[in-house]
Amino acid sequence: MLKRMLAVAVGVLFLAGCQDNSGAGGEPGAAADENYFSGKTITYVIATDPGGGYDTYGRMISRYMQTYLPGSRIIIRNVPGAGHIVGANTIYASRGDGLTIGMFNTGLIYNQLLQLEGVNFDLTNMSWVGKASNEIRVMLVATNSPYKSFEDMLAADEPVKFAASGVGSAAYLDTRILDTVYPEFDIETIAGFAGAEGELSMMRGELSAQVGIASSYDQFVANGNGYFALAMSQLAADLYPDVPVAQDYATTEEGLQLLGLLEALSDLGRLTVGPPGIPADILAVLRDAHSKAVNDPELLAEAMQIHIPITEGSGEYVEQRIIEALNQPAEIVALLGQAATSQ
Amino acid sequence: MHLDVAFGTLFNLLTDPYLIGLMLIAVPLGAFFGAMPGLGGKLGVVLLIPFVFGMEPIAGAVLLLTMHSVVHTGGSIPSILFGIPGDGTSTAVVLDGYEMTRNGEGGRALGASFGASGIGGVLGAVFLGMLLPVLEPIVLAFSPAEFFLLAILGITFIATLSGKNVVKGLVLGLLGLMVAFVGLDPSTGGPRYTFGHLFLWDGIDIITAVLAMYAIPEMIALGSGQGAVDYGDGASKRYKISEVWDGILDVFRHWKLTLRTSLIGAVIGLIPGLGGDAASWICYGHAVQSSKTPERFGKGAVEGVIAPETANNSKEGGALLPTLFFAVPGSSGMALLLGAFLMLGIQPGPTIVTENLDLVWTLIWALAVANVLCVVILVALTPWLGSLANVRPPLLIPFVLVFALLGSYLSSAAWENLILIFFLGCLGYMCRRHSWPRPPFVIGVVLGPVAEDSLHKALALWGPSFFLRPLSLILIAMIIGSIVFYVWRTRRENALEGIGHD
Repeated sequence: MLKRMLAVAVGVLFLAGCQDNSGAGGEPGAAADENYFSGKTITYVIATDPGGGYDTYGRMISRYMQTYLPGSRIIIRNVPGAGHIVGANTIYASRGDGLTIGMFNTGLIYNQLLQLEGVNFDLTNMSWVGKASNEIRVMLVATNSPYKSFEDMLAADEPVKFAASGVGSAAYLDTRILDTVYPEFDIETIAGFAGAEGELSMMRGELSAQVGIASSYDQFVANGNGYFALAMSQLAADLYPDVPVAQDYATTEEGLQLLGLLEALSDLGRLTVGPPGIPADILAVLRDAHSKAVNDPELLAEAMQIHIPITEGSGEYVEQRIIEALNQPAEIVALLGQAATSQ
Repeated sequence: MHLDVAFGTLFNLLTDPYLIGLMLIAVPLGAFFGAMPGLGGKLGVVLLIPFVFGMEPIAGAVLLLTMHSVVHTGGSIPSILFGIPGDGTSTAVVLDGYEMTRNGEGGRALGASFGASGIGGVLGAVFLGMLLPVLEPIVLAFSPAEFFLLAILGITFIATLSGKNVVKGLVLGLLGLMVAFVGLDPSTGGPRYTFGHLFLWDGIDIITAVLAMYAIPEMIALGSGQGAVDYGDGASKRYKISEVWDGILDVFRHWKLTLRTSLIGAVIGLIPGLGGDAASWICYGHAVQSSKTPERFGKGAVEGVIAPETANNSKEGGALLPTLFFAVPGSSGMALLLGAFLMLGIQPGPTIVTENLDLVWTLIWALAVANVLCVVILVALTPWLGSLANVRPPLLIPFVLVFALLGSYLSSAAWENLILIFFLGCLGYMCRRHSWPRPPFVIGVVLGPVAEDSLHKALALWGPSFFLRPLSLILIAMIIGSIVFYVWRTRRENALEGIGHD
C-alpha cells in the first residue's frame, strides 16, 4: 500500500514537473492527478461537535468537494476539544498525503502568536486548501443600552460591559484588543457566555455589547434587539455601508497594527486545511476541488437558504494571509499578551 | 388565545396522512439515535437535515422536531436495562431505573419511563401553548444570579440523596464538586487540574462519570457473583405487557409528582443556559425530597424513574419557545433546529406569533403527538427489550462493557476517557462495595460547573448585591426551606425510631 502510494506520488510529481502547474482539466497530467483520489477515502476533520457553524460548513463543503474528486469518498470526523486545539493538532499530526483535511477556528492564530499551552501546530507550514467565508468582526450593541453609537461608548464615563465566551478564546481576545486599541475606551469583559447566552443577557439589559461575527447576528439585529456600532474590517463596507470602521478611530501605530490582526481574521473564515507536506500537485487538486465546490450554484443556493455567507478565497491567498498575520513584531505580540491577560 | 387556530391545527396535523407518515418515520429514528450510546439525537438530526432540504417548511420542521423530541424517550432504554446512559440527560434515570431491572422490575421501569416521557412531553407542549402570551418576561426573568441559586438548590439535595450516610454523602458530593473543577478556570482561562492533558480542558465528561459510577461497578459485581439480576423463575425472558402497563399506571398514581416535574422541566427548558442535564437531576432530587419514603430511592423507586423522565421531555417544549420567538436557541440541539428552520424558510423572531401562528401551533402539537406516538411504539416493543436485559451474566457483561466503553469514548471523541473510566470505575466499585451513596458525586459533577460559572457572571454583573434580586430572594428562601425541611424530617425519623426501639 505504502509502496503503491509512493509510486503514485513519484509518478504524479514527475508528471507535474513535465508541465506547468495550472492544473486545469483536459491535459493528461491533470487527469492523472484527479485519479489520485479515485477509490480513496478522505477524512474531513471538524474541530467541534456535530451541529453548529463549523460542522455545517465542513459537511457542506466536503459533500460538494467529493463530487469534484471523482471516485473519492469524504467522511466526516468530529474531533472536538479544548476550543478547536485538539482538532487542529489532529490535522497537523496526520500524514501529508492529502487524505486528511479539515476545518478549525482561524482564531487559533492568536494561540500560535502567544505560544499558548496545547499548541502542537505551526499554521505557517500547513497546506491551505481554501476559504469559504468572510467572518467580519463587528461590535454588536444592545438597543436597550444607553449607547446609541460608538462615539457614545467612547465618551462613556463608566466601563462598558461586554459579553465574551471563555477567557483566552478568540472572541475574548477580539474584545480585549479593542480595549487596548482605544485607550480612552474602558471595556469590562465578562466571560463565560457561550452560544447565544450573550445575546440573551443583552436582551435582559445586563450587558451592553459583544464582539462577534456579523452574519451570526443578522437575526438579532433584524428583530430590533441590537445594532452594529463598529466593524473591524474594511470588508464590511459593501455589506454594512453605514457602520463605522474601527481603523478610523485608531490613534496609534500599534493600535492600527493590532486591528490588522482583526482585519486578517475577518478575512479568513471557514478555512479548509491539510497537514504540512502535502505534495504540491495533490494540494493543487484539492484546491481546485474546493474552489469548484464553493462556486457550485447548488452549494450557493443551499448556503443562501440556511443564511450562511459564502466568499471564496484560494488556498494560495489564504496561505499568504496566514503567514502575514503570524509575522508580527515582538512589541505587538507583547501588547496582545497584555490584552489576553487583562479583564 | 386563538382557540380556533389552536385546535384547527391539531385537527389538520392528525388528518394529514403525509405529516403523520413523516412522524411515523421520525419517531423510531429519533428513539434509535437516542438509545444508541454515543450516537445521540443531535447527530441524528445532523444526518437528517440534508434530506429535508427542499421540503415544505411545515413538513420539514415537523419531521426534524419530531425526531428531536423523542430522543430522550429512547435514551432511557439503555439506562434502565444496562445502566448505560445514552446521553447526559439520561444519566439520572440510571439510579432507580437500572436498580428496578436488577430487582426484576425492568418492564415496569420501562413502562414508567415511557409513560412519564410521553406525559412530560405532552404537558411541556401544553405549557408552551399556554405561555405564548406572556413569554418574554418569563424567559428574561432568569439571569446568572438565578442559575447560581438553582444550582445551589440542586446541590442541597445531596443531603437527602445521601440516605442514612450524610457524612459519606457530603464527602462524595464535595469530591464530585472537585472533579467538576477540572478544566479551564472560567475566570482566568487557565487550565486547572488538567496535568498537561488537553482532553481535560473541557472538564470531566459527565457520561463517562456516570458509566464509571454505575455500569462498571455493576458489571464487576455481577461478574464476581454479587448482585445478580433477579430472573424470577427463569421462564419468562420477555416482559409481560401487564408489567409495562403497571409502569405506565405508576405515572398516574404519582400524578402530583408528574405534574410538578413536568412544570419544573418546562421552566428549566425555557431559560437557556442551565442545561438539560441539570433539569433531570434537579427533578430527581426534588422527587427524593418530596417523597414520604426517601430511603427507597436508589434501590428501585419508580418515582426515581418518573421524575427525570418527565423533565427530560417537558424541557423540550420549554426550549422550543426562545428558539422560535427570539431566534435564541436554548440548547445545542435547538441551535441545530434553528439552523434547519432557517433553511426551510421559517423565520424565527417575535413576529412569528402574529404572522405565522398556524406554524407555531402545528409545531407545538407535533411535539405533543410525537411523544404520544413514541410511547405507543416503544411500549409495543418493550416485551422484546426484556429479552435483551435478561441475558445470562457471562454473555451480558462483555456486551455491556463494550457499549459502556464505546459510549464513553464517543461522548467526547477522546480515547483518554477510557483511562478515566477505569480510575473512576474503581472509585465507583469501592463506593458500591462499601455502601457509599453515589448520587451526591454525580450531582456535584453535573451542577458544580453551572454553579461556578454563573457565580462568576453574577458577581461580575452585580457584585454581591445579586443576592437581593427579588427572584434570588425567593430561591434563597427555597434553599433554606429545603435544608430546614431535611433537618426536621431527620430529627422526626430519629425520634420515631427511638420510640420504636423502646
